[in-house]
Amino acid sequence: MWTGHLQKRMKRLLNRTRLAAAAATATLLLWTTPFGAAAAEKIAVFPETPYDGYIVYESLIVFWAAIIGLVVILRMKLKEIERTQSLGADREDKDAPLLE
Amino acid sequence: MNCPRLRDWLEERYDIEGIKGIALSKFVPEHRHDIWYYTGGVTLFLFILQFLTGMLLAFYYVPHVDFAYKSIIEIVTKLRMGWFFKSLHHWGAQMAILFLFVHLFGTLLMKSYRKPRELVWVTGFVLLGISIFFGLSGYLLLWDERAFAAVRVATGGAGAFPVVGGFIKAFLRGSIDVTGETLLRFYAFHVAILPLVTLALIGLHLLLVQFHGMSVPPSLEKEKLREVPFFPNVFYKDLMIWLVVLGVVVTLAVLFPPEIGVKADPLAPPPENIKPEWYFLFLLQTLKLFPGSILGMNGETIAILTVSGAILFFFLIPFLDRRSARGERSPLFTWIGVFYLIYFLVMTAVGFLS
Repeated sequence: MWTGHLQKRMKRLLNRTRLAAAAATATLLLWTTPFGAAAAEKIAVFPETPYDGYIVYESLIVFWAAIIGLVVILRMKLKEIERTQSLGADREDKDAPLLE
Repeated sequence: MNCPRLRDWLEERYDIEGIKGIALSKFVPEHRHDIWYYTGGVTLFLFILQFLTGMLLAFYYVPHVDFAYKSIIEIVTKLRMGWFFKSLHHWGAQMAILFLFVHLFGTLLMKSYRKPRELVWVTGFVLLGISIFFGLSGYLLLWDERAFAAVRVATGGAGAFPVVGGFIKAFLRGSIDVTGETLLRFYAFHVAILPLVTLALIGLHLLLVQFHGMSVPPSLEKEKLREVPFFPNVFYKDLMIWLVVLGVVVTLAVLFPPEIGVKADPLAPPPENIKPEWYFLFLLQTLKLFPGSILGMNGETIAILTVSGAILFFFLIPFLDRRSARGERSPLFTWIGVFYLIYFLVMTAVGFLS
């Protein structure tokens, strides 16, 4: 009788364990399975690691520094050309003596 | 040139001094509206950028219905800097079309289309149309659900055109619906046919601009304007603007890389609240204004015909604006230009917000 009672309890425990395992599996499945298109995994379109992201942003700052530097150089060069043009020094003198 | 032997070798065969003379003899007038001259140069620069980034992407893209989407993901996720070049190509396209519109409305409002520059307008206008088709064909290559739905709507709209609509639709799709055939066709357009036509038209457009010289707005035509040599003065200014534009495009590409949507499924319903690219929004909003049926006729056909008529009128402005051609003031066409611009801006904004 005692053994029968123990068997009954063991059976109940097993059923409960099975139920809990089934519920856990279902929850896990619901977590990992996307609900149609809306839940589809987003594709990373930018480097994911913080280190790579940092390198990209740092490169962007260096790139802008280079652009600003080049623009400043071009601006200075243009100013110099305009100054030369205003003096008329850019025009070729046909009668200038040629140095051999 | 610091290579005397190479210089001598070239000069022996070609008229280098003559070519240099042509470059140095080009002069550009200086006035308060001359900023508009640079919009064409910026557009050309962006086209060059598109050609370069497009060539890089073409090395890895697979134009097949089963592999197109996968190859895009591989470009973005597996290739070193692939995400950057794809994003640069995307933002370069947006900026190129934006500057094309700016250049177009600048030309319109400055009356630069007037006699004898009608063909400059015609080649520029055709280039704009081709660029928009470039955008549409490139969009489908992503083969995601948004691109698929957009191309289905666009080719369906072309099909509503009377008489030739059916043929245009079938020609573009290559099938009864948007399928792998359409993808292959759009790929051929995007990487072979359109670039060739674009190169030829850009060449002709630049040749015509060189031939006619820079146009001066009618209000300044009687003034004595100072002229500066194109090389090096204007060329240096062009370079500065190009550098800044490059910086802006690269920044946009880094900060806002375009998302990749869900793979296209021909059997799935179109996604909700789908919007086309921004340069199609004014067209879409215009089509929405028309009811399904007008006096027993198909509303969509009437809408397509109305829009086509408005675009045709816009295209023919240089030939209709007789007063400008005679060198007189033509406020009517200025107001028409302003109306087109405001309509475009308002409808695009409404499309964005709705």
